Amino acid sequence: MNDRLENLAKRLGTDAANRLDVEATARKVVERLREQPVRRIAWVQQAWLRIAAALVIMVGGAVAIRQNVVGSRGAHPAHLVADDLTDLSTDELRDVLTTFDELISTDSVAVPEGSTDLHELDAQQLRAVLRSLEG
Amino acid sequence: MANPLPRTDAAPDAELIAAWRTGDEQAAAELVGRHARALARFLAGAGAPDSDVDDLVQETFIRAFRSVDRFRGQCRFRTWLLTIGGNVLKDFGRRAARRKVLPLDETVGDVTGDPHEHAEAREAEAMLAAGLQQLPRLQREVFLLRAQQGLEYEEIAAALATTPGAARVHYHHAVRRLKEIVK
Repeated sequence: MNDRLENLAKRLGTDAANRLDVEATARKVVERLREQPVRRIAWVQQAWLRIAAALVIMVGGAVAIRQNVVGSRGAHPAHLVADDLTDLSTDELRDVLTTFDELISTDSVAVPEGSTDLHELDAQQLRAVLRSLEG
Repeated sequence: MANPLPRTDAAPDAELIAAWRTGDEQAAAELVGRHARALARFLAGAGAPDSDVDDLVQETFIRAFRSVDRFRGQCRFRTWLLTIGGNVLKDFGRRAARRKVLPLDETVGDVTGDPHEHAEAREAEAMLAAGLQQLPRLQREVFLLRAQQGLEYEEIAAALATTPGAARVHYHHAVRRLKEIVK
């Protein structure tokens, strides 16, 4: 059965192959290749354009990443003013708050419950108020 | 166009391919002459309508010559050409499906010899052709490359980017299914 199948397979398409005018086919193929050489050039140009676009994206991306990295290295780290408050005395803290009091609405300041006057607050409470001003 | 290099008739395909790469049209024409009939048989066996075989052969050669830089001698030029033919036929099938044109495969060839024997042979071939259409593409192509074109599994595997073992399995699956159809 395998032999029969293979014999059949060998005959398959023989008629179509015999009908083919090989010389004419070769002539037509050469003519078509001659008539349409632009497509090959166009393909090459497209390929170069794609490569150029990919290079631009890669270089642009690299520059952007580099700038981000350098930028983040050069930037000052976040600094909280409240961290410097530990060295201040009660009077100095009060002066700072008085200055702030003139600038900022008291509604946004978390004044400890029961206190209405900054002079009544001790150093710890004053620090807490200053920290709350920093948000 | 480059001037064609003097060649003997026995110039190997590799030499003709190298000549075509430099623009030698005569080399291209010679490659067509060498492989067009085998390609036509393969295409017809794989289901190309007889009336379209010529166009499909041309299209296959055009594609092959335009992408010849991708041919690195991994298999013979003819085998590589046949796999391109398979792709061309697949694209043709898609276009035909979109146009909803039914292939006219029942073209009558020249009837010579005993009409009865001829009819029987025709019938068996038609059954095989119909059976091949029921196979997955890879099985069909492996079967044709092996049974019709007489290629070794190593050669088929190199052309279809698979292993000789896998090519052998595809062939046996194809044969088993075709035996059920062509009894």
